[in-house]
Amino acid sequence: MEQTRVLRFGAFASFVNVFGVYLIALFFLLLGIALQALGLIQNFISLSNFLNILDNVSLLGIVAVGMAFVTYSGNYADLSVPTTMALTGIVAVEMLRYGFWPAVLAATTVGLLIGLINAVVVGKLKANPIIWTLAVNYVTLGVIRLVWANKQIYPETITDNKEAIGWFDGIFRQEVFSNLFGNPLLDIRLPMVFMVVLVILGQFVLTKTSFGAQLKMTGSAKKAARFSGINVDFVVGMAFVLAAVTAIVGGLAITSLSRTGAYYNGAGYDFRAVTAIVIGGMTLAGGRGSIIGVLGGVLVIGFINNIMTLIGIPTLSQDMIRGLIFIIVVGISAKSLRSLGRDDS
Amino acid sequence: MKLALEMRSVSKRYPGTLAVDQVSLEVQAGEVHALVGENGAGKSTLMKMLAGSFDDYTGEIAINGQVVSLHTPALAKKHGVGMIYQELSLAKPISIAENLLIGRLPTKFGFLDKAKLRSETKYWLEQVGLGLNPDLPVEDISPHEAQLVEIAKVLASNPSILVMDEPTSALSREEVERLFSIIDGLKKKGMAVVYISHHLPEIDRVADRVTVMRDGKKVATKAMSETSRQEIVQMMVGTLKEETHNTAARTPGKEILRIENLSRWGFFHGLNLVGHAGEIVGICGLAGAGRSELARVLVGLDKKDAGKMLIDGREVNITSMAQALRVGIAYLTEDRKAEGLALRMTVGENALVGIIPRHSTAGVYFAKRGHSLLGRLMNELVVSPNDPGRMVGNLSGGNQQKVLLAKWMASEPRVLILDEPTRGVDIGAKMLIHDSIKKLADGGHCILLISSDLPELVGLADRVMIMRKGRFSREMPRSQCTEESVLMAAYEGGV
Repeated sequence: MEQTRVLRFGAFASFVNVFGVYLIALFFLLLGIALQALGLIQNFISLSNFLNILDNVSLLGIVAVGMAFVTYSGNYADLSVPTTMALTGIVAVEMLRYGFWPAVLAATTVGLLIGLINAVVVGKLKANPIIWTLAVNYVTLGVIRLVWANKQIYPETITDNKEAIGWFDGIFRQEVFSNLFGNPLLDIRLPMVFMVVLVILGQFVLTKTSFGAQLKMTGSAKKAARFSGINVDFVVGMAFVLAAVTAIVGGLAITSLSRTGAYYNGAGYDFRAVTAIVIGGMTLAGGRGSIIGVLGGVLVIGFINNIMTLIGIPTLSQDMIRGLIFIIVVGISAKSLRSLGRDDS
Repeated sequence: MKLALEMRSVSKRYPGTLAVDQVSLEVQAGEVHALVGENGAGKSTLMKMLAGSFDDYTGEIAINGQVVSLHTPALAKKHGVGMIYQELSLAKPISIAENLLIGRLPTKFGFLDKAKLRSETKYWLEQVGLGLNPDLPVEDISPHEAQLVEIAKVLASNPSILVMDEPTSALSREEVERLFSIIDGLKKKGMAVVYISHHLPEIDRVADRVTVMRDGKKVATKAMSETSRQEIVQMMVGTLKEETHNTAARTPGKEILRIENLSRWGFFHGLNLVGHAGEIVGICGLAGAGRSELARVLVGLDKKDAGKMLIDGREVNITSMAQALRVGIAYLTEDRKAEGLALRMTVGENALVGIIPRHSTAGVYFAKRGHSLLGRLMNELVVSPNDPGRMVGNLSGGNQQKVLLAKWMASEPRVLILDEPTRGVDIGAKMLIHDSIKKLADGGHCILLISSDLPELVGLADRVMIMRKGRFSREMPRSQCTEESVLMAAYEGGV
């Protein structure tokens, strides 16, 4: 009797872990509708607002996909993501003088370099992931502020190469589908497409590749994975490289969209990404959750942001509310794990 | 004679087993009382009971004639039970003095009285023959000294009964002698000592009486002057069970594994071993003899310090488990929960995790390709429930162990090292696992079987290597192996 009860609850819990986040998203959707029905907010229910929500969280979605691999590997989070984004962006702007593609190549190279350093130090040398990536974040920040003298740089002041500037400014503004249903307000821009493609790709890598299967074992039981002949150092390192890859995409996008290379680009993406990942059902203990779930977490954050903005809550208070939500979600997640007797974090 | 400790018909039940069954034990003041038994005989459970680890034992325990309840460690301490464990309980960064007197540090006007702390510590260190500076942090002293400090720490709590669990495992020969003279001194002062050890010569030297346990029950208590090592071993093994297995005469094939002069300093030295196709080589030794350490070096989890390892006559230098699997060596760990299985993952995922690359094409993993293999293995080992989607953590210990074995059967290694393959497993699962091991050997695999389970070793192995203090002390062909002869050899290092 006892056993079946636990099992059922376990199956229910894993269902909630993966799909529960979409129930939460549904809750906020209904909340928004209710608020509009009560006349407290306007313009929530409209296709353009929903596209707007998606557009607003697409950068977060891109970054969260990569970082989710780090969480899944049992290493909590990659806190060097914000300055990885900033550095790739500012390097890209700086290198625009040599053309668009050299700029992208240079930016990718420095971003990957950070990923590789994290991979070696956390994967091979077993440094504490939180402390190490936090340190990398600050060192990178220092480098940016030192090299660019604490200044923002703009494509126009770097080069006269109009074509390169045009490409760089335009690429992430590219409208993949414009004038949907003949409505000039409805369009889907490239970052949103990137997000969806990366989610699908990430989900495929996580569930259908040998790397994903080995990552699951590593995240679930690192020692047992090592004893099974899995190259645990490589697998963990690879997770950090993937986090860097999506941070590069995110960094290029945020820089392109703001037309500015600056040390503060990407600030806050670490915490928001972790929040999305945890709300999305990926537990900090590792080995559980999915990228589809993380997308749900990103959507929930999108709804929350949108509703808060429509109500008129100031940005600073929004941060506090997001922080509170994170605390609640992590608390619930830890408690449900303990009640299942599976809290091994 | 005054009784320092009296246990009257005490029992302790774990779910499913009666670990200690109606045991009575009397220890007099000024007596060293040895407690011996094979692994799983119940002696450590009995001692945990004394240490206050259980709040649900039955029976009565009296200390100095007074019935006491030892339901928490604090109560045990209060009633004067001093425990000295194999593993040290000292905090490394803080000083010897603070370690020794922690919990009742001397104070003066609410401040720490350093002078008193030092002088008191000095006194207790002298009791164990140490002249160390009390201010030294524990991390700066040698492991041997730390072991003696541990003893001083327990003595400083003024126990009336001292329980020592394998106290000599970290000590050199001279230090063992010093420990014995300390014990002799304590004895003269009227201390009652319960001494647990695997080393019969030590017991001969130090004990006045010995109690033998087997399968949770007390077999007998004898004065050391009225018994012999031979008799003690016989009591530990019990009446010999009928030898049912190992009638299949396997003829070993060609050599697969050869190790020459293999050493890992501090664990084992100069080991030589040859393993053939279709052969089960048993490795027997007491805890700490270096058996698991040898296995870990063979599969690249630890580094060797000297010596060679050859597969098919070619020298290999294995530095990781992944590489060991590539050359065909697999290791079934003795710690299935921490090192063997991912308890939150399914039976199927666990069983196939070692051969993910085999079922992948261009990095894409096709788990379905393993399904027929998985079904076959689960049927052969009778994994119950027969459901590959079940979470491993929800299976019984026996079925978990079967999944662990299935994982290595799936990878078809040429050399399979089994470390305690049936520890903590019920009898049905044990028989199925034994059958599978035999089948593997019949199929031409080379099996190294590390086990403390004598019937298992004697029943399965084609020959048994006796390992003692990091060396192979003896090789016994199947014809010479009986439970008694193997145990005798392991305890004595050769008859």
